[in-house]
Amino acid sequence: MKDLLTVIEFTIKDMVKRKSFIISTLIILAIIVIGFNVPNIIKSFQGEDVEEKLLMVDNKNVFEGTLENLNNMDLGYKFETTNEDLKFEEIKQKIEKEEIDEAIIINPENEKIKISYIVKNTAMMDGVPEGCVNALTSLYSNLQISKLGLTVEQLQTLTPNFDFSLEQTEEKEVSGNVFAIMLLSLVLFYAIYFCAYQVSSSITTEKTSKIMETLVTSTKPRTIVLGKTIGIGIVGLLQVCLFVVIAIICAKSFLEPGLIDNILDVSKITPYLAIVTIIYFLLGYLAYALLYALTGSTVSKPEDIQSANGPVAILAVIGFYLSYFTMMNPTSDLNVFAAMFPISSPFCMPFRVMMGISSITDVLISIAILVVTILIIAKIAIKIYSSAILNYGTKMSFKDIIKVYKDKNN
Amino acid sequence: MGLKLENVSKTFTGKLAVDNISFEIENPGVYGLLGTNGAGKTTTIRMLLGIIKKDSGEITWNGKKVERKHVNFGYLPEERGVYPKTKIYDQLMYFAKLKGMKKEDADNSIKKWAKELKVEEYLDMPAEKLSKGNQQKIQFMTAIIHDPELVVLDEPFSGLDPVNTEILKNIIIGLVQKGKYVIMSAHQMSVIEEFCSDILILNKGKTVLKGNLKEIKDTYKANRLEINTNKDIKEYIEKLNLEIEIEKNNDYLIKIDDEQKAHKLLNNLVQNNIEVTKFEIKKPTLNDIFIEKVGE
Repeated sequence: MKDLLTVIEFTIKDMVKRKSFIISTLIILAIIVIGFNVPNIIKSFQGEDVEEKLLMVDNKNVFEGTLENLNNMDLGYKFETTNEDLKFEEIKQKIEKEEIDEAIIINPENEKIKISYIVKNTAMMDGVPEGCVNALTSLYSNLQISKLGLTVEQLQTLTPNFDFSLEQTEEKEVSGNVFAIMLLSLVLFYAIYFCAYQVSSSITTEKTSKIMETLVTSTKPRTIVLGKTIGIGIVGLLQVCLFVVIAIICAKSFLEPGLIDNILDVSKITPYLAIVTIIYFLLGYLAYALLYALTGSTVSKPEDIQSANGPVAILAVIGFYLSYFTMMNPTSDLNVFAAMFPISSPFCMPFRVMMGISSITDVLISIAILVVTILIIAKIAIKIYSSAILNYGTKMSFKDIIKVYKDKNN
Repeated sequence: MGLKLENVSKTFTGKLAVDNISFEIENPGVYGLLGTNGAGKTTTIRMLLGIIKKDSGEITWNGKKVERKHVNFGYLPEERGVYPKTKIYDQLMYFAKLKGMKKEDADNSIKKWAKELKVEEYLDMPAEKLSKGNQQKIQFMTAIIHDPELVVLDEPFSGLDPVNTEILKNIIIGLVQKGKYVIMSAHQMSVIEEFCSDILILNKGKTVLKGNLKEIKDTYKANRLEINTNKDIKEYIEKLNLEIEIEKNNDYLIKIDDEQKAHKLLNNLVQNNIEVTKFEIKKPTLNDIFIEKVGE
């Protein structure tokens, strides 16, 4: 136990003192801070007054007296009206001289009212802006209704007072924005995957630097594998927590209030969910880290790491996508399977809990399956590691690994 | 008591790496393990330290199985290695702690050995900034930092310059004086001759010679004469049908098959008033014995 703590302590200190670790952490923190400031940065480039000047050419006075209403609708335009009969060429000149940004020409013809929307370039537009269409439609209706001389009560009956709601026939209620959950699932996958990858890289570095023989005569191989795995896991967890805390601070400081609530139901982030997520992070990390410890011990050259880690990477990607794509239909049998299957459950179950569709029993069963899987992987990984770490030279093949595992003398 | 290996064997994928070897180290001192490349020295050492498991045989230390809990051992592997990006002090402290030392004791030991090995100035530097020789001294420190009873040194002098070789030699002499058991494998026969009281020569995994070095040498007849004179004595040597092996500034190394001829040569020289400043009848060196036993 004392040796295990020594290996954990050394691994943590060694990792956090590394320049590469410090630099990558700072870069990610900078990306988070900058990312949450993107709306503010865009705003600062556009200046304080982002409203575009829109000239409404209404020589027949169809929308007479509605200028104030239009500007109060907060459509992102500063409306101006004119009764002059401006032609297309004249408007074109005004736009080129930057007197206005856009223009609308109101032209009643017989029963119809022809409305032309004029902008400098339509390349980025797929039609007349919907906000503008709705605003003009609504204003015109109100103008016509007001001409009928109706009472306040009659007017109220004309205004729709709908109360829309969304309901489902299945018993389990799904809550939360699926897109946000899938995004968080992606973050959790990368956190688990890259932390676990560090274990492989760390073991291969020890083999490359030929320190392994000194190490295995100083403590048991099992202690090295577990100590290294736990140490890197602690650093990874702290790093992820730091990123999450900074992200939350940035979201609260830099984003407009309510924006985060629209994307993610913050009320769903309960202590229970936080504990479940941390447990799955650690267990998922342990499962993949031990697999990486196994593959890392079979190579002795840094250039062989990628190919040796290939099978584990494929397994992780399959696990991730199994959970990622079934999350679009979280009540499907395949998503339930993904939440129980050990290679995908770490990426899936926390989000089922977040959506409120997995019971505590489901979570406990899933954790139990994952723990048993980890114990099996640990047993195999430690046995292979103990024999493979002193194998210098070419990368061990799968056949060699099986042979080493079956060899009772190892 | 001490270290005992009995009938130890190891096979790797059908190839016999160590074949039924036995030896015993009863008293403190340096035990030499010799052999050509691939003779089985490192495999023997690895089995001895429990890094790899033996197929058969017994290895005991003071009657108990060789395990970390029974034996306080230190090991300098043939594959030199340090953590390249970690500070020397931190890695030495790490290994000292893994070997059961308390922080304060480890700190004192690191400082003491760093001073003796003249690497004090490097303690705060990452290993990658040190020369290979200094990295080797650091690794030697990890082998002895915890004051082990049994020290296993696999090729300790390879790659070291004469100054550092001398420093290491003095430390090994110091360890023996403190009653430590040292097993040393080396290619330089002169080093083994200088340090080892007992040796074991391996060839293709088999023991070809073992025992007390002096007793082994005593079984060999003298085979060389080293003589230094004040003038050229080639004609006297040729008269006795002797073969000159090396000749330089009237310093001769002559092959002899019996000591009588050496004495006869000396008589002839004295009778002819030739001044003899050195006359030494030599037994075969360990190098000669080694080549005889393993050379093919």
